[in-house]
Amino acid sequence: MSAPPPSLLDPSIFSSLEAKLQEETQVRDTLSQLVQRLDRAVATAQGLLSRVHSTPRARYPALVAQVEAAVKEEAAIISELEKVASQHPFYKYNQKWNRSIQHAIGTTIYCAWLGGFPSSSPSSSSEPEAASKPAAEIGRLLTLEEVGAIFSVPTNLKDRDAFHLTIEEYLLSLVDLTQDLSRLATNAVTLGDFQLPLTISAFVKDLFAGFQLLNLKNDIIRKRADSVKYEVKRVEDVVYDLSLRGLIQRPTAGDTEMESA
Amino acid sequence: MAGGTKRDYDGNVRAKSVQDLPRGRFHAMFETFRDELDEHYDRRERIIKASRDVTAQSKKIVKQPNQDFPKGIQQDIDTRLGEISKLLSGITADVQSINRYRYSFSLRCLEELVEALSFAHYLRHQTLITLEETQAAVPADIMLTPHDYMYGLFDLFGELMRFATVTTAQTGELVGDYERNILSDIQELGCSFEMLPQVPTKDFRSKVEVMRQSINKVEKLGYGLVVRGSERPKGWVPDMKDDDHRPVSPV
Repeated sequence: MSAPPPSLLDPSIFSSLEAKLQEETQVRDTLSQLVQRLDRAVATAQGLLSRVHSTPRARYPALVAQVEAAVKEEAAIISELEKVASQHPFYKYNQKWNRSIQHAIGTTIYCAWLGGFPSSSPSSSSEPEAASKPAAEIGRLLTLEEVGAIFSVPTNLKDRDAFHLTIEEYLLSLVDLTQDLSRLATNAVTLGDFQLPLTISAFVKDLFAGFQLLNLKNDIIRKRADSVKYEVKRVEDVVYDLSLRGLIQRPTAGDTEMESA
Repeated sequence: MAGGTKRDYDGNVRAKSVQDLPRGRFHAMFETFRDELDEHYDRRERIIKASRDVTAQSKKIVKQPNQDFPKGIQQDIDTRLGEISKLLSGITADVQSINRYRYSFSLRCLEELVEALSFAHYLRHQTLITLEETQAAVPADIMLTPHDYMYGLFDLFGELMRFATVTTAQTGELVGDYERNILSDIQELGCSFEMLPQVPTKDFRSKVEVMRQSINKVEKLGYGLVVRGSERPKGWVPDMKDDDHRPVSPV
């Protein structure tokens, strides 16, 4: 304990901390406002989408057009969000918006699944469907990159610190989608559409197979992805009910071993 | 039903039987995701491991000054700091650019490190360490955020409180010189923190709460010295079992 220290602390320490905290508060407030607006736009799109459960397939295009417009609203807010968020470390604030973004992604992929956002670009990754059905194709899955293109924001950025859509958000929105589709399978049957459950069943199973490829740790994705198997089962039950009563075409011989018995 | 990829004890992927799963429509896409997520999980694991070790070392640095200041201490602190900087160097690549904040939760060891550094600094200089001085103790490529610094300083209160208690019991007075003692220091530091704008997180609130308790304990210490100072038998330790049973440290 040699030279007498003038004082315990340099006042600039706390004035700079205070400035930092004030700046953070401001950023949070700005982000909160944007996220609130995004949430409202997402709620609108989700509200429209919920009508699909009481809409016969022939009227999907009209509904989808409305949802597409709602998604464009979301896109406008997301691009505002991008401008603000990219000025700060992405992961410092991303928990503020990741839920809202997840739901926005959810409305977009659901809309596309119902036939929205037709793939116009030749680089689209869904060639098998494009060949089979030229009309509004149902059951198309938008990739994360395609969603990013619709929102005009980057996806899965690793080399620079800026706003983007994350893999986690996309995967969680896929789980949300399976939940809604399993509900749709039931409701389609009620409306007399016996083919849709088959499309849904194949789709949900493929997603489930995809989720099984992931090596998940004990986190939110695992927790949510675990529920996909129940959705698969729910859709399978619908398909079972239909096939038991002969309401859908039996698979052609060779598809199943049971057929030969 | 087939689970995820099977792994052996060391976490290496086991060879998968080829016809394990039919290649679904989204197989390729999910494979990309799997690789990305694996990368992320591995990175996080490395950070958590290093963080745990750095925390352990930091806690040992804190422990040392509390047991007086014999000769070997500085050497011991230096060895530990060397160890810490080696550990942190190992994960430098994992916490660059966008990943610095991504893993800030896993990298909480930096708070512990700030706590240790600030305590050692206080004992040596009776002043508060600055952000720049703490940054100097970690590899230059690892950015110490104001958050790490501030939350580390919150933990300093607990150390000061323990230090004040022990030294008061040993010497019979509040340590300090130059018209300042540990009570006035901890109060001044507390005031500075109280003046800061509130952060609306649970973490912040609990840290402030613990800080107030620590200050309160040192204040009671000062009170005890004045009121019962003369009656105090040698080796007297103030009664810390006070009214509230709240935790002393937040973790």
